[in-house]
Amino acid sequence: MLESIVHVCLAGLSGGMFIWLVASGLTLIFGVLGVLNFAHGSFYMLGAYLCFSVLRALGQNFWWGLLLGPLVVAAVGYLVERFFLRRVYGLELPYQLLLTFAFVLLFDDLVKILWGAGSLGAPGAPGLTDSVPILGRQFPVYNLFVIAVGPLVAVGLWALLEKTWAGRIIRASSSDREMASALGVKVPALFTAVFVFGSWLGALGGGLAVPYLGLLTPGMGEQVIIEAFVVAVIGGLGSLKGAFLGALLIGLLSAFGTRFLPAFDMFLTFILMAGVLLWRPQGFFGEKR
Amino acid sequence: MAKKGMSRRQFMKAGLLTAAAAALGPGVLKPTGLWAAETKIKGPVKVGYQTVMSGTLAGYGEFHKMGAQMAVEEINAAGGIGGVKLEMELRDSTLKAPDAIQNARYFVDSWGADFLAGVDSSGQALALAPVMAELDRVLMVTHAATEKLTEEHVFKNGVRQVFRMVTPTYQDGYAAAIVAKDLPIKTWATISPKYEYGFTCWEMFKSTLAALRPDVTFTAESWAPFGTTDFRSHINTIMDAKPEGLYSVEWAGELITMVKQGQQAGLFKQVKEVMLPVGAAMDVLEGLGQELPDNIWVSGRYYFLYPTNQANNDWVGRFHKRWQHYPAYVSEAAYSTMYAFKKAVEAAGSKDTKAVIGALEGMSLDTPAGTRVFRKEDHQAMYDVPWGLTKSDPKYPFKIMGKQVVVPALACFARPPFDGPASKPPFKS
Repeated sequence: MLESIVHVCLAGLSGGMFIWLVASGLTLIFGVLGVLNFAHGSFYMLGAYLCFSVLRALGQNFWWGLLLGPLVVAAVGYLVERFFLRRVYGLELPYQLLLTFAFVLLFDDLVKILWGAGSLGAPGAPGLTDSVPILGRQFPVYNLFVIAVGPLVAVGLWALLEKTWAGRIIRASSSDREMASALGVKVPALFTAVFVFGSWLGALGGGLAVPYLGLLTPGMGEQVIIEAFVVAVIGGLGSLKGAFLGALLIGLLSAFGTRFLPAFDMFLTFILMAGVLLWRPQGFFGEKR
Repeated sequence: MAKKGMSRRQFMKAGLLTAAAAALGPGVLKPTGLWAAETKIKGPVKVGYQTVMSGTLAGYGEFHKMGAQMAVEEINAAGGIGGVKLEMELRDSTLKAPDAIQNARYFVDSWGADFLAGVDSSGQALALAPVMAELDRVLMVTHAATEKLTEEHVFKNGVRQVFRMVTPTYQDGYAAAIVAKDLPIKTWATISPKYEYGFTCWEMFKSTLAALRPDVTFTAESWAPFGTTDFRSHINTIMDAKPEGLYSVEWAGELITMVKQGQQAGLFKQVKEVMLPVGAAMDVLEGLGQELPDNIWVSGRYYFLYPTNQANNDWVGRFHKRWQHYPAYVSEAAYSTMYAFKKAVEAAGSKDTKAVIGALEGMSLDTPAGTRVFRKEDHQAMYDVPWGLTKSDPKYPFKIMGKQVVVPALACFARPPFDGPASKPPFKS
């Protein structure tokens, strides 16, 4: 029993860190730009497929894929923000949702055209393909790696936003666009930079998913974006701290639910979300708007 | 001189035709001798085909399309159906029941379909059955496996318009149990989909195996919702229960993920026997490659190396040449569906639904998967698919079946009160 509790805990942690990696970019973009980016799941998917293509082109080396794939997606993110999203900032929310949803459909078909509709089996990450015994049961090293990467990204984001000059400008612009602009901050360029960085984070999640799932499918972005949205809502839209804790909670809850409360496994996360929306509609760390 | 040249040209033509016929193989060019019926069939024969072409399972739609399109090309190159052209239109079924119904109505009311085919999800098939009675067109189901479609809608409710080309849940539950009864283990557990298909197959497997082997017990079940990407908690449930055997009707990408994660957790070292009723599906074999463990039991609705005869070998060869892919079971079903329509229309001498149903009932059809017979009672195609133990083979980049066991369809497919004692094989339903 003990080994099962530990292993389910580890499974929950790695699952949660995964959702965090995706939710972080989503939350950052919402927090600064105020845009709910549906296409974030597409960036995740593109990140995975590009990582896969690079690793195949460069002799099955996953690490090159992880480095280069998300960079290409960041460039795609640049084009999306610079030439499309920028035009709808002034419009009402439904226009932004429509535009980003249009990109979901476009990218879904693009993936089918470029990589085919079938699923692609992906190899493991060199150096991390083994499993290690923990209390007599095997656990994959790669998942331990994901568990470590999650908090690293969290700390990195925190340091970037709280400890650097760029972070201060980002925070200033997110709390008052006009004032920041009046003080000489080039807000449009800043928005572009944040969007590009957020896209890169989503694609990084996708790249890391390649060995984690071992399989790429054209609809993979839609599955993950729903969980990321749930996490963002629970944690408080726009709050990175909230997204991190929300992801941990959802990951652990669904892992323990599956193992110890199997009849309710599908309900638990949504009960949690419903509860949060009822008692604290702004989420754990969200500000009242 | 001129005459001589003409006759030589005609001779060449005849030679070419013979060569083409030989290349197409015996399964294709079985002369039905019904050219007399030609005149009665008006206009093209139109088949509306729907399958999933978006989302994570879009690859299945591609596999359907490869088989269906290849059959259409071959049939038209060989003169069509009773002299008229075969036309097909393909639509995305999206796996949702309302979309399946909308597609069916579009096909019949707007496009003028004579026949419908395809359908991947059991929920869609069950929702479509009453609609087919209303639209009065034959629907050939090429993937959805629920036994309720043929038992309840066709047999009990008398929806004669619905037929099924592929093996149903009987193959996944009953045939599996008949193979499992000879395995020297006493405890079984499952990780299976948390919807109708998973529950039904596990129930069929359990009830039959319990009847055949009273010493066997079933120790754990873990149900994975549609779209599961992390099976680790499910795998822990099974490893805690320590069964000797694992049975799983996970399929497609989710099966690939489950096997990979099971490998990482050492699951396949702990259990002695593994049975995957849809493990021999081509997307799973290709997707797992060498990561599929050796010596586990797999089956499917068609396996590309069975039967080992000339007709199947030729077909697999032609398929690979046309698509640079080995055929998936849905490709074979889609391909054979077009030939079933051809044979039935030519036999009936018309596209009329009632006449075609009459021709299809009890009809025997030579297909790549072997000879299929459409059982009169429930319109289920009867044919055999082997169970086999996985092994490596230098000829293929993926695992294939080594040792095979065939549980004949006749031994495990009967159900409802189809007359006679043979309708109740060893299982209890």
